[in-house]
Amino acid sequence: MSVPVDRSVVGQEFDRTTFPPVTADDILAYAAAYGETDAGWSRPGPDLTAPPTFSFSLRGSHFMPKNLPTHLGRHAFDAGKDIEIGVAVRPGDVLTAVSTVHDIYEKTGRTGAMTFVVFRTAVTNERDETVAVIDQKMMFR
Amino acid sequence: MISFAVVEVGDDLPPLRLTLSTEQVRAYAEAANMPGGRFMSDAAAQAEGLPGQIAPGNFSLALFGRLLTAWAPAARLSRLSATFRALVRPGVPLIASAVVTEKHASDHGAFVECDLVLESGDGDRLVTGTATLAFD
Amino acid sequence: MILDLHAHSDASEDSRAPLETYLKWLQRKRDLLPIDGIVLTEHRQWNPAADYRSLEDHYGILILRGAEVETEYGHILIYGVTDEMTRRFDFANVRLTAQEVVREVARMGGVAAPCHPGRPTIGLCEHYAAGKPPLEGVVAVEALNGGSRRGENERVQALIDTYGYGAFGGSDAHLVSLIGICATEFDDDVRSTEALVAALQGRRYRPVDFREQVRAARGAA
Repeated sequence: MSVPVDRSVVGQEFDRTTFPPVTADDILAYAAAYGETDAGWSRPGPDLTAPPTFSFSLRGSHFMPKNLPTHLGRHAFDAGKDIEIGVAVRPGDVLTAVSTVHDIYEKTGRTGAMTFVVFRTAVTNERDETVAVIDQKMMFR
Repeated sequence: MISFAVVEVGDDLPPLRLTLSTEQVRAYAEAANMPGGRFMSDAAAQAEGLPGQIAPGNFSLALFGRLLTAWAPAARLSRLSATFRALVRPGVPLIASAVVTEKHASDHGAFVECDLVLESGDGDRLVTGTATLAFD
Repeated sequence: MILDLHAHSDASEDSRAPLETYLKWLQRKRDLLPIDGIVLTEHRQWNPAADYRSLEDHYGILILRGAEVETEYGHILIYGVTDEMTRRFDFANVRLTAQEVVREVARMGGVAAPCHPGRPTIGLCEHYAAGKPPLEGVVAVEALNGGSRRGENERVQALIDTYGYGAFGGSDAHLVSLIGICATEFDDDVRSTEALVAALQGRRYRPVDFREQVRAARGAA
């Protein structure tokens, strides 16, 4: 049965989280986890900064809005990301992530009919500099 | 060290060849605050209807980041995008590759665009994407 | 004459390939990819105002346009899109009726050709195998798709042998570096959408595969 895509949640902010200060251990653990060897990101020291994909590891209070349309399906999978990467993250930075529903659309693929919801998360530091803008496509079926 | 001047459209970056272990996938998921069962074990993933443990999509992005920044450590990764076409599973040989598709310079800076592919050893494209490197 | 009959620019939501970068790439790779033109077949949309003549003139590569729509028999490429077709069908609807699309597009002077037929769920082979009535009026299918996985293109030959469909090829590129890796070689000149539609109905064409030479060239680099 065809159910029209409910776009009423598009534009809605569903999470705003300020995280504890980033630590050197956070950065080093993240870099080690995917085998990063660049000295600037993988060795302790005063010049340590986080690898550019570090901000993807931030998890706010709500990963998804509570009021997503109920017809989307029971299973959600990460279908892809588009990220604009800004200033580097350093130990001591206090990051804030604000997430909104950016888009909803339908398409069909190998696994059948799917609804895609795009969540946009804007990450800034305590100086209000943009660290990243992450568009995450979640596939529901 | 790669500089903007010597980069040419069509240049292939040195590929990254690896096979993820179950422990590596688990460790990345934990470090990346992604404790979902599907990333932790075959049993938990199968309970969600998956064939077995899978790597988070973010892990593929991290590998692309590693590939790009290893090639051009003086450049800054300014944009990264990817489509997760198929599951990335531990134990499957992987090749992460990139090719330069565009270079352009203006008052705003010097940029190199790359296509990215993560494929299985059998040649199936599991993840595709693009990236922009800024040579400041 | 060789045309890539299936490509997506960044107008398709899952493509990251600007059209002009495709053209620059084809110009640069001319020795490896002797592509005379491409057909943009964006997902679920049609922009009547798009005009690429200046790019064609600048790069010397033919740019035609079609669309890729979604039906209960899988995805279908429409060549020769007209305003009448876009009034008749909502291209954004992922539940179009395939037989209506094939029949009506033909009536309106175009060709509706199932793409990646060997792909699970969104390819024709699986639907025929499940016992659905064969579509009437199909003149050609995409026998060679550059984005398909192992075994999916191979599955299409049986379909072609059984139903006598014409066979064409396309890259299904969503990345710049994948444009033209699979394409269609036409015996006749195809310089317009009308000529493309007539050619597809005429059957004097075949899929061509450049993937191995592209792979070999990259391996040698």
